Amino acid sequence: MSWPNADVMFKAQIIKKRRDIKVNVSLELGKGSSLGLFGASGAGKSTVLACIAGIEEPDDGSVKLGDLQFFPPSLPLHKRPIGYLTQEPGLFPHLRVSENVSFGIPKHLAAEKEHCHWIETLRERLQLGPLWHAPASLISGGQARRVGLARMLARKPPLVLLDEPFAGLDRQLVRELIDDLIFWSRTLGFSMIAVDHQAEVLKRLCPEQALVLENGQIVQRGGWDELYGAPASPLLQSLLTPL
Amino acid sequence: MRVDRRWLARAGATIFALALLYPFTALFARIGPWQWGEDVRGPALSSVRVSLLLTAGAMVIIVAIGTPMAAYIARCGTRERLLWQAVLLVPILLPPLALGILLTLAFGSYGTVGVWLEHFGIVMTNSAPAFIATQVYVGIGYYVLGAVAAFDAVPLMLQEQAALLGLAPRKVFLRVTLPLARLGLAVALSITWVRAIGEFGAVVVTAYYPSGMPVQLWINLQSFGLPAVMPLLVVFLAAALPLPWLVHVLAQRRRHV
Repeated sequence: MSWPNADVMFKAQIIKKRRDIKVNVSLELGKGSSLGLFGASGAGKSTVLACIAGIEEPDDGSVKLGDLQFFPPSLPLHKRPIGYLTQEPGLFPHLRVSENVSFGIPKHLAAEKEHCHWIETLRERLQLGPLWHAPASLISGGQARRVGLARMLARKPPLVLLDEPFAGLDRQLVRELIDDLIFWSRTLGFSMIAVDHQAEVLKRLCPEQALVLENGQIVQRGGWDELYGAPASPLLQSLLTPL
Repeated sequence: MRVDRRWLARAGATIFALALLYPFTALFARIGPWQWGEDVRGPALSSVRVSLLLTAGAMVIIVAIGTPMAAYIARCGTRERLLWQAVLLVPILLPPLALGILLTLAFGSYGTVGVWLEHFGIVMTNSAPAFIATQVYVGIGYYVLGAVAAFDAVPLMLQEQAALLGLAPRKVFLRVTLPLARLGLAVALSITWVRAIGEFGAVVVTAYYPSGMPVQLWINLQSFGLPAVMPLLVVFLAAALPLPWLVHVLAQRRRHV
């Protein structure tokens, strides 16, 4: 699957008033690069991702991938070329694993030899072979994350949004999934925006740059060394300190 | 000796279930030989046909109108949803006889719609359309409220995920929302079926003819007495109950497996 805007810059300014805080964030991302959104719970990180995905609508600002305007006006969800992975794998329980992975792929594409090969590659690399024909409702949480990842990658989106997709998983599995994501981002060249409240996870996933949010506002942006070397606030310092 | 509390509760539940099923013992009551002569059999079989065919027709209309309506309500904000639910409760809460009288007046020759329909040759009293319309009014509230609950049970996150995977809203509904809500919809439909096929109060006013099973039971009771009621009663139970009963049992089983 190829997208018309695969080689372009992602730019967003999101202003969204929530009950407790006002989120005001601007960010830019080049092709194939990654950005970690870091901050305490309730800082507005997930709101930013939800606004980019179209699940929430910003009050103001703009969201653009190349020349494709996401907002304003609000582009319907199904027209946004993004992958979105959250804490819940969101598998369709009435479908098999294979059907979940191929979900949303247009019929004419699904029949193409190249696409079949691509799905086969995902199946092998993510070790989905033994689960392939199993009902999605009967697989474990860890397996479901792999299937969710495969399903997201099947469409080869140019932009991937990750909202704490490893929450509740054991360290070994988190390491494997992060390695998989990094491998595929290099192979496919997609850009990544990830949210997590664990600095070590985010640093590994998005080693290039981070953006720190507090009460909906950006308090610091830059490389991880900068963040660790000179944290902009006592709260950030506390979040970066190991337990 | 110490009595296990669980066994005590189970005994209580058994007594409750027996009390609930007790009326069925009346099928074996000594009321003399059941009547199934030609004068009883002909109208009885005709009423079975009328009930099954016209109720099936009403169900088609209820599903066709009620499903999109329920899908819409399930997406509404709290205030708007309350408003629609209040409207749907009106035919449910209305005494059936009162509903029948209102329908006769509104759709008969006294009402604007009734007069308009008569221009097209559609008579809305004592006719098949009157029978179907009454059942739709009687049942649609049950179906829509049940269907809203079924749609509510489908996680919004899955529908959003399907959209983000490239499916337009109509396809999201057909490929995710509908399949995941199907059991709840089947339960809602089965309740509506039982409610509609068993309706007497409203139908007896709007469509005494063609007589469905409940009205025919009444006619048999009035004309011939209990021995002429029993065979039709058995047919009525056999025709109306097994399907919804099975749907409910299957739905509960799926929920608890």
